[in-house]
Amino acid sequence: MVTAVSPPAQRTAPAARLGLWRRQEADGTPGKLRLLLVGLVLLSLAWGAVAAWVVDQRASGAGDVVSISEPLSLDGQQIYRALSDADATAASAFLSGGLEPQTSRQRYLADIAAASARLEDATAIAGGSLASSDLATLSAGLPVYAGDVETARADNRLGLPLGAAYLREASSLMRRQLLPAARNITTQASGQLLSASGKATGLPLIGLLLVMAIITGYVLLTTQRWLSRHFHRRLSPGLVAATAAAVISVVWLAVSLTAGRADLLRAQTHGSGPVATLGLADIAALRAHADESLTLIDAAGDDSYQADFLATEHHLGPGPGTLLAQAASAASGSPGAAAAADASAAATRWYSAHRTVRSLDNNGKHNEAIQLVTTPGQEHSGTLFARVDASLVRAVAADQTVFQSEAAAGRSAFTGLEIGVIVLALIMAAACARGINRRLAEYR
Amino acid sequence: MNRGTWRQLPLLLAAAGLTVWAVPGSAAVAEQGTPARSVTAATQVASAQACDPTASLRPTGPPVVSPGSYMAKIRARGYLIAGVDQSTFHFGYLNPLDGKIEGFDIDMVHAIASAIFGNPNKVVFKAISDDQRIPDVQSGAVDIVAHTMTITCDRLQQVDFSTVYFEAAQRVLVQTDSPAKSLADLGGKKVCATTGSTSIENIKAAPSHPIPVQVPYWTDCLVKLQQGQVAAISTDDSILAGLAAQDPWTKIIGPRFSKEPYGLAISKKNGDFVRFVNAVLQKLRTDGQWAASYALWVGTPVPAPPAAHYES
Repeated sequence: MVTAVSPPAQRTAPAARLGLWRRQEADGTPGKLRLLLVGLVLLSLAWGAVAAWVVDQRASGAGDVVSISEPLSLDGQQIYRALSDADATAASAFLSGGLEPQTSRQRYLADIAAASARLEDATAIAGGSLASSDLATLSAGLPVYAGDVETARADNRLGLPLGAAYLREASSLMRRQLLPAARNITTQASGQLLSASGKATGLPLIGLLLVMAIITGYVLLTTQRWLSRHFHRRLSPGLVAATAAAVISVVWLAVSLTAGRADLLRAQTHGSGPVATLGLADIAALRAHADESLTLIDAAGDDSYQADFLATEHHLGPGPGTLLAQAASAASGSPGAAAAADASAAATRWYSAHRTVRSLDNNGKHNEAIQLVTTPGQEHSGTLFARVDASLVRAVAADQTVFQSEAAAGRSAFTGLEIGVIVLALIMAAACARGINRRLAEYR
Repeated sequence: MNRGTWRQLPLLLAAAGLTVWAVPGSAAVAEQGTPARSVTAATQVASAQACDPTASLRPTGPPVVSPGSYMAKIRARGYLIAGVDQSTFHFGYLNPLDGKIEGFDIDMVHAIASAIFGNPNKVVFKAISDDQRIPDVQSGAVDIVAHTMTITCDRLQQVDFSTVYFEAAQRVLVQTDSPAKSLADLGGKKVCATTGSTSIENIKAAPSHPIPVQVPYWTDCLVKLQQGQVAAISTDDSILAGLAAQDPWTKIIGPRFSKEPYGLAISKKNGDFVRFVNAVLQKLRTDGQWAASYALWVGTPVPAPPAAHYES
């Protein structure tokens, strides 16, 4: 198409220009210039729109990660943990008899308070969108559970065997209804977190942006080459400015998107991923601890709690494919790794202490067995469980910090980027228009 | 009768037939109203009384640990293993105040340990649930079961029993505001008992057709009663008294509608131990210990201990 156009170097007198213009128009150069003008302006605006949209998607994904999904998933996990802890603490406090230790009492009350507060937060964040039936189950069931535990305490204090029956009832409500609901919320929230994180880190949008950048760059460069050949000018200042604006926006996008994506991926691999796995391991440990106490409270040879302990032990590990092994590998390289390793070591010792508890209890040494669970001591089952639990809590806290700082960094990588890209696109459009207008002016 | 009713006629006839078929026991209760008669009826439904359940092995004399006997084995081990209840107030329960298992059943076990070792505390108590009693005796996991256990002919097929050491009878526990006067008023209502007990069989067989609800422990029944999940609990009066003692807003109602003679269960392999235990029980009946335990756990006035009855 370029070859068909005669160069405008043969200038004519102003009087003849109009006629020439008409002729040239038919010939095509000014018409092409006009088309080029409209095309370049539209291309610049389209580039700006696409880039701004991509940035918006990313930023809102990152925002979702930081301000919606992550808090919700954290709430879910903490409700799950607080309830598991309440179950275990109520049982071990009951085991201590009518004069339960003050620390156990406070821990139980703190669990119930935390679960209620988190439940309220989660309900507010979820806004009916997610797991609303599970949240309702928890809201309705928690007071009933707490009521049963208080009745158990009151009866226990009076020395009535009925207390143990109420505690079993409470624990069964917890395990049949409340914990499954909490687990559903956690699962759904972490699914949401993953999809928000995927939106903020996914590659398809980057691909779209890349294609758009290549098209824009190619058109700008081709236009300039054509103009310089056609009009024998080395450079058009307008188009040079537009190219510069395009380059700036591409570089800015590349740096911010890459950094933001890396931050968010780190938040996932060293933060939320290990946090979820470590959290599950901790919940399993709490369940086994509750089983240990309930077996002693039950003391009736009904071995369902002991069977549950063994099943949970098998699931928790350490050992290939177990929760502790998964947690250790998920946490490897993260700050929680050392604490996760501590937990694995303590778990093995805990299980062997538990065997001692069972053998004492099975041989009529019920009180000695209870002592091993309720009092502190080097190889006491209760103490070793506490070590497993504390290590896992520490690991979760460390990795949670990683998540929060990385996710916040990921979000702040997008600060100003959207506005910047839009302003640069407008500059590109204006500069292109000015550059082409200059050439058009030569035909007037 | 309209057409609809006519169409249901076969069904109605079938129902009437069933009622007639089920009636004999209930008719006896309703018309004669004497607990003793109704007892026989109810127990016969459950076990068909193909035997004399209360006849046990006659002791050879006062309790003596002879060499080579099962008692000698227990003595060599150093302790007696007893399968007991831990949630039945006043018969076998874990006292939360001292962490010890106590009650009337437990006193019997201490007396047997005392006869073997000269020390009532050489016992390892293994708390078991109702439906574990027979399997544990059969497997030898425990030497003896003292667990508010009714002697029945069905059970005698599987384990041996001592002579009767307590005579209970099934009755009904309701909240004080309940209008029910007996199990007959509880048709279609939920009535609780433990899995594996004779009580649950009697509830199932009751002519008023209450809905049986099974739980592992008697205290679980009381939780259900307090929470309004069942209308009543029906089992031995001895157990009901222990439940009522934990909740002043309950009352025991109705006639004693079954006879529940309690025995200590022992493996069929250990006939010498059955005879030994019967000798111990006979001593308790005569030396005042039985009466003392009764007064402590069940209350006064103290009746005469159930007479020992032996196979001829």
